[in-house]
Amino acid sequence: MKKILIANRGEIAVRVMKTVKKMGIKTVAVFSEADRNAPHVQFADEAVCIGEAPSSQSYLRGDKIIGVAKERQVDGIHPGYGFLSENADFAEAVEKSGITFIGPKSKAIRIMGSKLAAKEAVKAYDIPMVPGIDEAISDVAKAHGIANEVGYPILIKASAGGGGKGMRIVEKAEDLESGMKRAISEATSAFGDGSVFVEKYVKSPRHIEVQVMADTHGNVLHFFERECSVQRRHQKVVEEAPSAILTPELREEMGIAACKVAKSCDYVGAGTVEFLMDADLNFYFLEMNTRLQVEHPVTELITGVDLVELQIKVARGEELPIKQEDLKINGHAVELRVYAEDPLNDFLPSVGNLEAYQLPVGEGIRVDNGFKEGMDVPIYYDPMLSKLITYGKTREEAIELMLDAIQKYKVKGVRTTLPFGSFVFAHEAFRSGGFDTHFVKNYYSPEKIKQQTANGAEVAAMIALYQFLEDKKIVRLPSN
Amino acid sequence: MEILYMNDTYTVKVGDDFDFKLSKDTISSLDLIKTGADAFHLLKDGGSYHIKILGSDFNNGTYTISVNGREYQTLIQTPLDELIQKMGFATNGSKNIDYISAPMPGLILDILVEEGQEVEEEEQLLILEAMKMENIITSPRNGVIKKIRVSQGDAVDKKQLLIEFQ
Amino acid sequence: MDPKIKALQEKIAQAHLGGGEKRIEKQHQKKKLTARERVLYFLDEGSFEEMGILVTHRTTDFGMDKEMYYGDGVVTGYGTVNGRLVYVYAQDFTVFGGALSETHAEKICKVMDLAMKVGAPVIGLNDSGGARIQEGVRSLGGYADIFYRNVQASGVIPQISAIMGPCAGGAVYSPAMTDFIIMVEETSYMFVTGPNVVKTVTNETVTSEELGGASTHAVKSGVAHKTSNNDATCLDDIRNLLNYLPQNNKETTPLLPYELGDETRDELSGIVPDNPNKPYDMHDVIGGIIDADSFYEIHKDYAENIITGFARLGGKSIGIIANQPMFLAGVLDVNSSRKAARFTRFCDSFNIPLLVLVDVPGFLPGTDQEWSGIIMHGAKLLYALSEATVPRVTVITRKAYGGAYDVMNSKHIGADFNFAWPSAEIAVMGAKGASEIIFRKEIAAAADPEAKLKEKEAEYADKFANPYRAAKRGFIDEVILPKDTRSKLLKTFAMLEKKAVQTPWKKHGNIPL
Repeated sequence: MKKILIANRGEIAVRVMKTVKKMGIKTVAVFSEADRNAPHVQFADEAVCIGEAPSSQSYLRGDKIIGVAKERQVDGIHPGYGFLSENADFAEAVEKSGITFIGPKSKAIRIMGSKLAAKEAVKAYDIPMVPGIDEAISDVAKAHGIANEVGYPILIKASAGGGGKGMRIVEKAEDLESGMKRAISEATSAFGDGSVFVEKYVKSPRHIEVQVMADTHGNVLHFFERECSVQRRHQKVVEEAPSAILTPELREEMGIAACKVAKSCDYVGAGTVEFLMDADLNFYFLEMNTRLQVEHPVTELITGVDLVELQIKVARGEELPIKQEDLKINGHAVELRVYAEDPLNDFLPSVGNLEAYQLPVGEGIRVDNGFKEGMDVPIYYDPMLSKLITYGKTREEAIELMLDAIQKYKVKGVRTTLPFGSFVFAHEAFRSGGFDTHFVKNYYSPEKIKQQTANGAEVAAMIALYQFLEDKKIVRLPSN
Repeated sequence: MEILYMNDTYTVKVGDDFDFKLSKDTISSLDLIKTGADAFHLLKDGGSYHIKILGSDFNNGTYTISVNGREYQTLIQTPLDELIQKMGFATNGSKNIDYISAPMPGLILDILVEEGQEVEEEEQLLILEAMKMENIITSPRNGVIKKIRVSQGDAVDKKQLLIEFQ
Repeated sequence: MDPKIKALQEKIAQAHLGGGEKRIEKQHQKKKLTARERVLYFLDEGSFEEMGILVTHRTTDFGMDKEMYYGDGVVTGYGTVNGRLVYVYAQDFTVFGGALSETHAEKICKVMDLAMKVGAPVIGLNDSGGARIQEGVRSLGGYADIFYRNVQASGVIPQISAIMGPCAGGAVYSPAMTDFIIMVEETSYMFVTGPNVVKTVTNETVTSEELGGASTHAVKSGVAHKTSNNDATCLDDIRNLLNYLPQNNKETTPLLPYELGDETRDELSGIVPDNPNKPYDMHDVIGGIIDADSFYEIHKDYAENIITGFARLGGKSIGIIANQPMFLAGVLDVNSSRKAARFTRFCDSFNIPLLVLVDVPGFLPGTDQEWSGIIMHGAKLLYALSEATVPRVTVITRKAYGGAYDVMNSKHIGADFNFAWPSAEIAVMGAKGASEIIFRKEIAAAADPEAKLKEKEAEYADKFANPYRAAKRGFIDEVILPKDTRSKLLKTFAMLEKKAVQTPWKKHGNIPL
């Protein structure tokens, strides 16, 4: 491959380009009219504007992107994450146009993109799954039967769903009927499809995922797990690798399971198998993400591999250059997603201009960044500014370095998740490892961040007034 | 010089979220030592704070202070500033306008709001025809319409009161 | 504590209380700050130095010897505005309603005398019920002492008056003789005789606000140069105004740092409409020429057919006079001539260069104007501009007709550099009127007089409705593209910076007052 087009923007586009450049391959950026100033445009060897700011007219326009790729004589397209990265039609169109799609085959994307198809595919591989049914129902009697089988509490969720809509937790049999009815009516109004899944509700669940990589020669490797349990609005915000609670045995068990999932759909390239883990360390297959994950850097730091480099090698048809037994966990890495959103106001996006924007630097600090000072945070896209990742020999060291790096990360003009990060990494529940996906619900409130900054703010106020009163003593002569 | 009948309590705003009322006595009793040109060390309630003054503008009362590595923007309000705020004197122009009067003589073509209605800044309030031009009078701020002093078809003089805000 | 020190501290504390806490509270309830609060807010933090804080009156009649207040109803002293020295006096309504006594006047005169010797502006914050009646003629004498100093200081140091409460009777004449009057809306009024006297003498019923409130003087009489919606914005407005002014008549205006770059302003191109009878807002032209947001308008609501105000051009203060086609087509009349003439003389007194933007169809006709003496008042503007020795530059954007062309800073009356836009029409009158006169016989004789008039009108317009006749004669130095106006003016004013003019010796000219 001589030239690769990166069909993405922001930090991930820059991050992919860095590896591509390192491999001596030329880079082509695509961008929308809102992004002319963005670092990914200036970082690439070539850059082409593909449309107006809304992503439906630019970054989601597969046809335009393939057109640019052909015109620029590109050999491969890297989709990053989000946008077109898990769009099977796009992957197929790229394949058909004679360009290499740096990712899995469209068939694998399609299978893993459907909850039912994915469950069907992994059935034969003996992968643990959350007890429940694998078909969508809307019949209360049927639900009763299943609930009795898997035991309460149970979770009802819309088959077409997402974002928590049409979800109900039912604690006991008496509440099942009303829970079903409300879930169905919510699902109908939200998605126009009232069918629901019924499954066992996993209490204090943790979100643990395994990074896998498969080549076209039948090799499948796993790169250990990532823990992504700290979430807000059902989206990850703090991640780490390895997890604080896995034993080596469990790790191996989950790794093997993940490799099996990959094999079940003839997977090629980098992928992530997500598991739910209950309080007793039972794990259940959730889904497979058929792309490079946002949080891949923590895996890179503890394994010493460049996942993008491996993706490209695999895409070129090469055999994976490492064996499973060569892979070892070395140290600990934590990541904070720095979003332009207001942790004091329900994590709502905070758009504006980055009046000041300075990244922390130092040993063990990595920032995958897509912005620079003076830029506007566009209203059209995901409000993630960067990922702040720190690495240490131990978990404690990585966390301490993270707290320090957060202090050194200077942003003015928009609110960010940085103060929330300070809260999480300093919190006893996080530091002890005893947390689950309800971390935010259980421990966080805006007042806590306020309280945390309030002490410092009061000191700042006192010193400001002290200095003001001192300055007042200085004699100032009138000038004529 | 300070006005002696006013109290000596200052309000210090920190960012958008915090207001602290601090008296001069509080400041003079701080356990504070100077560790450099613009650097201090403070002991307060057992806590240890390393402080730097990153920027200062005495005339506007704005100071940028770093406390244990975290940066804070502060604004000092003197007791006199407090009084001025309390009296509702907006010092930054139009934001606290309570009355809208006609910018020129003309004819009220249309009134687009009602008494009691909540309006946003820039929302259209009424149309005033003057010199054959339809001038749209927009709201200078967010607020609620208290009283509309004119009706459609009225001829108004320049500066005549049109709308009152709550 | 040393009893002597304690005694001093007690006196100062008492002085600060003015007429006492109750009256301070009352003042606040009326949406008014007290005198000392105003002064402190107005001046740079920590810069105020008070003079004569322990002064008391000397009256013994009517039991006045029992009522003494330190400071005697006025706070005086000096301080700085953005670091520059100013003198200030503020009348204290909490003491005898701010009434002016002999000693009160002496305090004001003291700062005025100092200001004159040193050469720095005087700012008066007026809030007074009038003369201290108990003192009789001594109080009147005090007023006149101030008036006399106002006149001596006129044209030497800038004098600015804020009206922040009542100002009635003889008291109005001190502000009237200063350079600028700024009134606070709803809490201030000015009149020579109040509503009660008006009622007895003329049987008119009128409120104080109608008779002499801020909007009355800003719109109808032109006595107020500006209004502000409260005490704080009024004081902010004065601080702002001072930034455009020099300290005295021997100095130049303060220069703000400004980095020049590409000063082309494309937005100036589309402002003047093709149809000469269509109005446009001259503020847009001003906005396209000056430094961003630097316009400080004087007499914004009075005689709106002409615009006057200060602005910055490349960081330097200039005064702008501009016809406003949006109002009465920008015609010159009694009020607009007086407004512009007074502004011209202020700028000339204090070394502020003048920019004149011209779009004028002539003088306003009619009995009202003639009987009000448009001849004399129009002459004021002609006189003031002719006499001004500061750098004077003209830009004709559209019409410059007849005598009004001469008046509006033409080359002939001493302007230094005259520009015209391609849309300029420099002529004795509009094409239609001119054709009707020149070709009267020809048109009357024509088979279709109307068509003939149209034809002749076009002929005249073609010949004269442009800047080129004037440019040929050198009455226009350069015809320029609108978008280049700013850059041309930056250079022109820089070129004229050292302009010096010798005028013949005279006591003073005799401007047609």
